[in-house]
Amino acid sequence: MDSDALRREADAFCRYLVDAPPPDALIERYVRANDVLLTEAPSPGDQAVIDFACAHPRSIAMLDAGTALSGKAPLFRKKLLVMMAIVETTPAFVGQTEPRNASLPGLAARLGLSAARMAVNVAAGLALSTAIARRRRG
Amino acid sequence: MAEVDVIVVGSGPSAVNAAYPLVEAGLRVTMLDVGNRDTTYEETIPEGPFSELRRTDEQQHRYLLGESFEGIAFGHAGAGAQLTPPRQYVARDAERLLPIVSGSFFPLQSLAEGGLGGGWGAGSPQFCEADLDGFPIRLTDLQPHYEAVAARIGISGAHDDLVPFLGDLQAMQPAVAIDSNGESILRRYQKRRAAANQAGLFLGHPRLAMLSQPLRGRSPTRYWDMDFWSDAGKSIYRPRWTVDELRGFPGFRFVGRRLVQSFTETADGGVIVAARDLDSGRIEELRARAVVLAAGTLGTARIVLRSFQLYGRRIPLVCNPHTYVAMLNANSLGKDARDARHSMAQLCVVHAPDGAQRRFTVGHVYSYRSLLLFRLMKYSPLPFREGMEMLRLLSPSFSVLILQHEDRPSPDKYCALARAGDGGEDRLEVEYALSPSDRAQHDAVETAVLRGLLRLRCVTLRRLHEGNAASTHFAGTFPMSEAPARDDDLTTDKHGRLRRARNVYIADGSVFPSLPSKGLTFTMMANADRIGCHLRTVLRPGSR
Repeated sequence: MDSDALRREADAFCRYLVDAPPPDALIERYVRANDVLLTEAPSPGDQAVIDFACAHPRSIAMLDAGTALSGKAPLFRKKLLVMMAIVETTPAFVGQTEPRNASLPGLAARLGLSAARMAVNVAAGLALSTAIARRRRG
Repeated sequence: MAEVDVIVVGSGPSAVNAAYPLVEAGLRVTMLDVGNRDTTYEETIPEGPFSELRRTDEQQHRYLLGESFEGIAFGHAGAGAQLTPPRQYVARDAERLLPIVSGSFFPLQSLAEGGLGGGWGAGSPQFCEADLDGFPIRLTDLQPHYEAVAARIGISGAHDDLVPFLGDLQAMQPAVAIDSNGESILRRYQKRRAAANQAGLFLGHPRLAMLSQPLRGRSPTRYWDMDFWSDAGKSIYRPRWTVDELRGFPGFRFVGRRLVQSFTETADGGVIVAARDLDSGRIEELRARAVVLAAGTLGTARIVLRSFQLYGRRIPLVCNPHTYVAMLNANSLGKDARDARHSMAQLCVVHAPDGAQRRFTVGHVYSYRSLLLFRLMKYSPLPFREGMEMLRLLSPSFSVLILQHEDRPSPDKYCALARAGDGGEDRLEVEYALSPSDRAQHDAVETAVLRGLLRLRCVTLRRLHEGNAASTHFAGTFPMSEAPARDDDLTTDKHGRLRRARNVYIADGSVFPSLPSKGLTFTMMANADRIGCHLRTVLRPGSR
């Protein structure tokens, strides 16, 4: 895969995960990790999801939620896992990735909020990934 | 050809503890092993607590993910999944030089200095009398050697409810501190002890080969939570610490880059060992009065079967079936977790509905802190962003129970050596299948344990069976027995001597006829020490 496309992915996925653009070193790390780990050619379905995600970064949350549940687009999920591993081992993002303590009410509120957001994204993501698949088929 | 007293094959937990009493007695011992070491990461990992390195070390990705991103693994976990990039040297070259053919058994093997002990979780329960059922030795035969090994390597633990199940040691160091997650489960157990015990559930400190006090130049744990990544301070025992100690004795020689192929006995009672020099490719022959094979159960099987040209001969194999259970500890939800902790098992769980006199099941509870969240996400059906947020909140209360089941030989569990047809390495063919009744029994035990833990507010999230070889507890290929069953028996006597040979001893897991529901490493080391002590009386220095 060409490295410009991977750089675009790195930028989109990092912003999705931690709300911040990736530093150059992190982008290079993502490109290198893809070269080493994800050598298989993407399926047309996977490629369509990745292309759409990079063209419309706001859709990533929905596509991630939809494909997590449906199991479709496994390469897209692997790429997100690679980016999560990279941001998790970057000190600049430790505040967004390290385990956190929360009081019981705080924990319940945050979990509830995450679950609600997730439910919305799953519903939207399933519809969106179906639409992408239909568009790809013709 | 110069002769030494003993050649020890391998450098893992059994090898070094068999060698120690021999070397200490003044015998000339040569240890042969490939002896791979970590040359990539050891120098790159700074000293400091995990939580601090996460915040400050810009180079952390080099060792947490690996120079070639080998720490990001996709697919099934399986054997060796616990090996972080700095530990992966343990398995280096093994797939190439020790090939296995199997559709059901995918073991981790090692050619490292210190063997599989380089990645050991340090769990060190002793066997009980009930565990030695079918062995030609009793607990009294092993106890002095448990003490000797404990004094040598350092075992910490507590005199708590688990003594009847895990044994007792005079040489035991005080227990290392449990982390806040484990503490909350233990407190709950202590409040409900009577009911839990009535249901057959017992909880306590694990026995760990981890120091709480200084020993032989090694430091007690500093609670830096770096134990999956680094051996700084040497608080966790690794067999290579003993190799280093042995190197200080004049009679000891370590010869690395040697892959032992076979042995032959000579008419005058000596043994010639053939080993391949991995650098030159040449076969070298070394001579000794006796040989101790401790190349790991599968490695030793190759050497013995090749030495007797028993290609195709099936020999038994046992391996503890392992189950991982992801749990949420509701006791610690909403409470602050301490960063200061060690990374190994925090608690030991015993399920013994019939008490300690009958067979029982042992598990260990780990907290999930220093292995990074992305590894958990791989198993999660959650989207990454929300999943990461949820795991951040829940991981301080997240626990992993590793439960192991006993294993006994059966016709469906065996290995055989197949000759290399293409000039490559001989292949070990392995078949391993659990019977439906085994599976049903494991399931019943797991259900009972998880029900008991639920009463302690540990909620099961998911059970994972990571394949037949995931425990890396391999044994049973040349079992110790009172008397040979047949003339061509491939068994060992109670001193570990291979019955088909006069001066070839086996000191690793191969000689265990069965495996109880416990880690075998500490017992393997004690048994190796026992065999070494026996051999030194046979080969008194200067007797030849």
